[in-house]
Amino acid sequence: MRISEKDVEYVAKLAMLEVADSEKKALAEQLSRIVEYVEKLNELDLSGIDPTPQVVTSVKHAVRDDRVAPRTGSSEAGRTVKLFKVPRVITER
Amino acid sequence: MNLKNITADKLVALYQNRDLSVTEVIKSVYEEIDRVDKDVRAFLSICPERALDEARRLDAKIAAGEPIEPMTGVPVAIKDNMSVRDLPTTCASRVLEGYVAAYTATAVERLRSAGAIIVGKANCDEFAMGSTTENSGFFVTRNPHNLDRVPGGSSGGSAASVASGTSLIALGSDTGGSVRTPAAFCGVVGLKPTYGRVSRYGLVAFGSSLDQIGPLSKSVREAAQTLEIIAGFDHFDSTSADTGVDQYVRDLERPIKGTRIGVPKEYFIGGLDPEVKAKIEAGMRIYESLGCEMHEISLPHTEYAVATYYLIATAEASSNLARYDGVRYGPREAGNSSLQEMYRRTRHNRFGDEVKRRIILGTYALSAGYYDAYYLKALKVRTLMLRDFKQAFEKVDVILAPTSPTVAFRIGEKTGDPLSMYLSDIFTITQPLAGVPAISIPCGKNSENMPVGMQLMANHFQESQLLSVAHHFEKAGGFTV
Repeated sequence: MRISEKDVEYVAKLAMLEVADSEKKALAEQLSRIVEYVEKLNELDLSGIDPTPQVVTSVKHAVRDDRVAPRTGSSEAGRTVKLFKVPRVITER
Repeated sequence: MNLKNITADKLVALYQNRDLSVTEVIKSVYEEIDRVDKDVRAFLSICPERALDEARRLDAKIAAGEPIEPMTGVPVAIKDNMSVRDLPTTCASRVLEGYVAAYTATAVERLRSAGAIIVGKANCDEFAMGSTTENSGFFVTRNPHNLDRVPGGSSGGSAASVASGTSLIALGSDTGGSVRTPAAFCGVVGLKPTYGRVSRYGLVAFGSSLDQIGPLSKSVREAAQTLEIIAGFDHFDSTSADTGVDQYVRDLERPIKGTRIGVPKEYFIGGLDPEVKAKIEAGMRIYESLGCEMHEISLPHTEYAVATYYLIATAEASSNLARYDGVRYGPREAGNSSLQEMYRRTRHNRFGDEVKRRIILGTYALSAGYYDAYYLKALKVRTLMLRDFKQAFEKVDVILAPTSPTVAFRIGEKTGDPLSMYLSDIFTITQPLAGVPAISIPCGKNSENMPVGMQLMANHFQESQLLSVAHHFEKAGGFTV
């Protein structure tokens, strides 16, 4: 399947990326080659095969007790500053 | 002092006998970085003040005769996609330029608790996306064996630092070969543990169902020592395994006579460099001489690995990298008209080409109408690859193969052709897809004096056997430091 410059534009928008006009052609070309290559998977008969989203090896899924544990972690980020400065997201029309 | 001729266990013994002080070693490591790293460029940032403070603290401990930890005063490099509190953590991306981590990754914390001293943060491909470290947003790292060649990637700075003697041990991360390929290219040992063996808390996510932290070192013993320290369940990472951690160092000398070693025929294909092939075959003869049984095996879906990997890894990456929006981390580009424009500007101006390419590919694979055709299909092929390994490990204990089809290639040689770069990963991507552990160990040099890496793989959580089989090879082949 060929990826057109229009496809690149559309997917870039979904991914919150800008693509300069000068980059579109090359990107469509490269992505087409990659997508044509991955279509190799169509050679396989996958009927009745379950997907493997993650190789779960020995993960405990039990719900643990809700208790406070020592943590030298990200919680400290919130302790040192009370406020975060962010750009204005609501403007007057 | 260059660290090329010493290993961690020997260095710690020298400290214990008071033959050397930690402070003098750390000072000399920074002198060595000044001398060597202007060419190699393994480090994105270094932290001499902090390291020397730590060194003096450890020297005082040794002087007081207190019991010391197994990695006391061992200089380590940390790939820059792992958080270390108060140090820059950029993932070699300009989207995280100037970002300083607020907490420390569990694997790094465990290494520090064992006495290791962080000398700096190592360069890598941006967000670990690449096979050569040429995709770093800041600069290219060079191969210490030949400065015109790539060090491999994405943990290229980690491998180059160990190989050039500016750290003894380094941590890297492996999503599709990112520890093993640079290890092979730089002539060092690189281990990718079983998925879930090492906590990823504090590792910046790339492909969440694949990523795993692993050590790079000059010897298998140091890899075993490091794994023993960093492995094990962590309640900050719900994907870390609660399986008990073996005594990898003790098990190194376990006899390997009678070990069944499988050689997958799919790894000895047309693109395999004849000199690499010859070295791997010489390695097989060493194992035969050690009394191991060699068996030809088949991993029939290997040829679909690159296609499967580049759909799954990019899909996961496109989702994981959505968080870099100019608000939560790092710098922000001005957007004149709207918040959305600010997001897009920041991402456009600060992500490199390869990262953008992968985000677009992953977004495409997940987008409406294509999900079933690409992403879901890849997950099904992954099931077949997992079956391949399960069936193979019913017949053999360990699988032996090349790590890479070639030795390190020239800087710039493949950057213009992303697909040919992806294809160079062929031997290192089925293992993360199946979650099995694998190690790359040196097995000699080619006629251009470039290192060749041999790869060994084992079943889930069989790192003990994997390391022991690797250790015996290192001893028998004379590849010890």
